[in-house]
Amino acid sequence: MMVRQTFHHELTDLEQELIRMGALVEDQLRRAVRSLTEQDVVLAHQVIVDDDRVDAMEMDIERRCLTLLALQQPLATDLRVVSTVLKIITDLERMADHASDIAKVTVRLNHEPLIKPLVDIPEMARITSSMVRLALNAYIHRSIDEALTMIRLDDDVDHLYARVFRELLDIMRTQPETVAQGTYLLFVANYIERVADHATNLGEWVIYMVSGRRQELNH
Amino acid sequence: MTRTSDETTPDIEVHQLSVWYGQTPALRNVNLNISAGQILAIIGPSGCGKSTFLRVLNRMIERFSDVRVEGTVRVGSFNVLDDHVDVTQLRRAVGMVFQHPNPFPMTIFDNVAYGPRIFGMRSSTQLRKTVEDSLKQAALWDEVRGKLRRGAGTLSGGQQQRLCIARALAVNPRVLLLDEPTASLDPVSAAKIEELIVQLKSQYTMVIVTHNLQQAARVSDLVAFFEQGRLIEMGNTQEMFTAPREKRTEEFLTGRFD
Repeated sequence: MMVRQTFHHELTDLEQELIRMGALVEDQLRRAVRSLTEQDVVLAHQVIVDDDRVDAMEMDIERRCLTLLALQQPLATDLRVVSTVLKIITDLERMADHASDIAKVTVRLNHEPLIKPLVDIPEMARITSSMVRLALNAYIHRSIDEALTMIRLDDDVDHLYARVFRELLDIMRTQPETVAQGTYLLFVANYIERVADHATNLGEWVIYMVSGRRQELNH
Repeated sequence: MTRTSDETTPDIEVHQLSVWYGQTPALRNVNLNISAGQILAIIGPSGCGKSTFLRVLNRMIERFSDVRVEGTVRVGSFNVLDDHVDVTQLRRAVGMVFQHPNPFPMTIFDNVAYGPRIFGMRSSTQLRKTVEDSLKQAALWDEVRGKLRRGAGTLSGGQQQRLCIARALAVNPRVLLLDEPTASLDPVSAAKIEELIVQLKSQYTMVIVTHNLQQAARVSDLVAFFEQGRLIEMGNTQEMFTAPREKRTEEFLTGRFD
């Protein structure tokens, strides 16, 4: 029989909770951007409220990690798993904060007509939320290749961000009355870009967890 | 109490070391080097050959009957397994501390002075100085300075263990072997011994056998994992405990083994 069975059960439970948190964060991002494109203030409020669930999950997972470190003193892979979970939840929590920030923009705009149809921002969000999902899959599969594939998508997000930035700047220059909304939309693009950066952090932590090697791959 | 050491060659060199008790192999083709002033921790399941390895380094192994040793072991200038090696001098250079404190049934002073006397130290001034220095090095002096004529048996277990370390240090060894040195001690005494080990490390090369992985992590520079008489993996402590290369090491450290 294996020794330390209880510990390994707890570790498995912890990882399942992490995946649930990741799925919730991905969902938060998608709903936040949908609230913006569809000007759905009710949905935006829901996203803002649900951010508390993400925060609660982070606290819970963090507490469980610290308990395992204190009581089980994990080593080797187990140590890397616990420290990876501890790091990843911080990134996930920040991502959820950005989703909440996007929802707050929806609330601020409050059905105000959009200065342009949103195309690139939803596309950025689509790639970014798929990055989050791919990062979680890479975690589940313990796959460095999947993590690296996911991290490469960050370049696409960065390109779109640069384009959105230029476009919005042009609109604001020529139509000064759009400056308020244009600035909000710039914020949104920036939030999404930040979420993608956090997703690449997830990928870097997965690589550490699998290989024991830390490397900076983005920015 | 400093000693000169050659920085380039390892302090301990073990090459193709194999040991059998009767027909039973206890160590198989072990190769490893330790540099001067480093602490190597040996970890592994019971019966993996940890203690056997330690016993080879000062030839304690030959006190067991029907034992066969092959390979070469060099400690400093000693060719340890050479028939002509002066075993008394070897054991002076390679001190050992055991799991259970084993002070001699004599006074604290005489325990520490025992080795130096055997090696011909007669001057009482010199002996007193050696005893004081050794007890200071073993972080015991302040607790026993006025009680040197008392029996060693009056000391607590942790103090007795530090006395045994002082006794080993009194003959100016090059290497210290520690076989589960805190296994029979309470946590505070164990912590004191650990702290002592770390403090002594610049002056001695040490090999510690321990079942306490956290202890190995805290005190050692290098970790060697033994299993069924084989050296599976050796590396620097930080890497061994966070990302070992070998699957067997991984399984041992994470408790995923039979």
